[in-house]
Amino acid sequence: MTRLLVTIGKVFLAGLFLLSALFPLAWMLIAGFKSKTEVVQTPFQFFPEVWRWENYTQILEDPAFLRSIGVTFVGALLFAALSLVVNSLGAYAFARLDFAFKRTLWVVVITTMFIPGIAIMLTSFIVVTQLHMLDTMAVLVVPGAASGLQVFFLRQYYLGVPVALEEAALIDGAGRWRIFLHIFTPISKGALVVVGVTSFLAFWNAYVWPVLTITDANLFQIQQYLATFRSDRSSELGLLMAGSTLAALPVILLFLAFQKQIIGGIRISGMK
Amino acid sequence: MTTTAGAATSVAAPGTREVSGARSRRRRHGDTKVAFVMLAPLVVLLAIFVIWPLLHAVYISFFTWSFYASSEFVGLDNYVNVLTDQAFLASVLRGLGFAAMVVPAQLVIAFAFANLVKSFSGRMAGLLKVTIYVPAVISEVIASIIFTIIYAYRGGILNWALSLVGRDDTAWLGETGTALPAIAVPAIWIGMGIASLIMLAGLLDIPEAYYEVASLDGAGWWAKMVHITLPLMKNIFLYLLVTGFAGSLQFLVVPLVMTNGGPLESTTLPNLFIFRHFTNDLYAGYPIAAALLLFLVLGSVSAVIFRLVRSEKAVDG
Repeated sequence: MTRLLVTIGKVFLAGLFLLSALFPLAWMLIAGFKSKTEVVQTPFQFFPEVWRWENYTQILEDPAFLRSIGVTFVGALLFAALSLVVNSLGAYAFARLDFAFKRTLWVVVITTMFIPGIAIMLTSFIVVTQLHMLDTMAVLVVPGAASGLQVFFLRQYYLGVPVALEEAALIDGAGRWRIFLHIFTPISKGALVVVGVTSFLAFWNAYVWPVLTITDANLFQIQQYLATFRSDRSSELGLLMAGSTLAALPVILLFLAFQKQIIGGIRISGMK
Repeated sequence: MTTTAGAATSVAAPGTREVSGARSRRRRHGDTKVAFVMLAPLVVLLAIFVIWPLLHAVYISFFTWSFYASSEFVGLDNYVNVLTDQAFLASVLRGLGFAAMVVPAQLVIAFAFANLVKSFSGRMAGLLKVTIYVPAVISEVIASIIFTIIYAYRGGILNWALSLVGRDDTAWLGETGTALPAIAVPAIWIGMGIASLIMLAGLLDIPEAYYEVASLDGAGWWAKMVHITLPLMKNIFLYLLVTGFAGSLQFLVVPLVMTNGGPLESTTLPNLFIFRHFTNDLYAGYPIAAALLLFLVLGSVSAVIFRLVRSEKAVDG
């Protein structure tokens, strides 16, 4: 009897967790099918009177929406690629090579993990202004690509790769670049996926930095688009919800596709 | 997102050190050339976009700096102004209050979640783990948009649900008493996935043998919880507590989008306070000094905790 009660309690609790994680998203999805007066109306209505696909087709016909989705997507791919190259090379050097000033450089790289964005927001803005990077794709892609956190994570992973693997290659006369490309890169696919996906997500979801550095509507990022829509066209709530749903979809799908690696990558050792 | 990281190995493979030791005896710093080429992109980017801005920020904090005028050295004036500014101190206190809502809720949710998942097998555990993390990949802008309609005064689902139990409508984001808790909810929603999965990793790290021995000695669920689980997870709790506080004090996008600090500054958290000064003030010395003070406190606390947790891991493992 107590056993049954415990099971019921556990299932109830599990349902509660699932509901609280997913309900807000489901609510956004449902609201995306409502007419503009239905989203928040009295008397309250849970489901729309008629399910309006028009919101979705209408937002997909908005050139500004499509442009910001496209620009953000391309930027996120570039950002993920750059992060992968920069951070994996650095991590490999710290994990396996023996060079001058190694300790000092390592401390510097690690320290950058603890610098909050707000402390360097204005001075980073000064730097990108002086480099004439404002209103370019580069200002979104380049400044955040190097990450102490990602280097730390990849280094931990590389340290776990058996040394025997590369010793054989070294004896055969393989250089460090070949070892990095042909041994370390394929063997650490899982860790690289984590770096690539988290970089993509970070770029896709970024809001504050784009707001500061992008005023050209052609380069508007998707989060900028949504926030601007929210304040400028606040009466068109159904449309906004449809747009938000479509903007959330890529990251949810990306996460689901790589959930095993992402969840496996969460460990206490490298969290910040 | 500064969240996912940390491979399974916290200890270097034993072979690594011997080999590099042997090599360095033969040829000290033998890889310097190739290493510097490999490190160049990382170091150059960090130098330009992180380290230089930090040094420049420290420098500016001693001046009356602006984009338009020549700056003047003012010593510690900016810092004194920050520390004596009631508005800034109020925002920090508000941030602490905000953290006091978010962090305990997250710890309780994460701990309950971890224990629940551990008690389920395979598929159900997998479903729970994936689902709880979904909010963490949603942007803060979208979370703000969703919660704005949930909180809507007329026709919002929250007021509707509460009306079923006879409560009058509340303007959640429009009243000073409810606005801060109202933005704490999306903060908890976004952060609970990461906290839960870290908690779960910590819980699963505890060797099952401890529980088996305790069962043989006749320990019940409660005794095991108090004498095994909680003491062994002390570090995880500490870690989540500190990172949760640091994260809460730096919470920016949700109050920026949802309330822009209002009503009557009741959701002006420290980072939003600084951000608004950045975008509105002529002189940058003051907000930079405020940001650096926050950084000094938060950064050093998280660095210490980070070290502490890692060193204990190494000892255990």
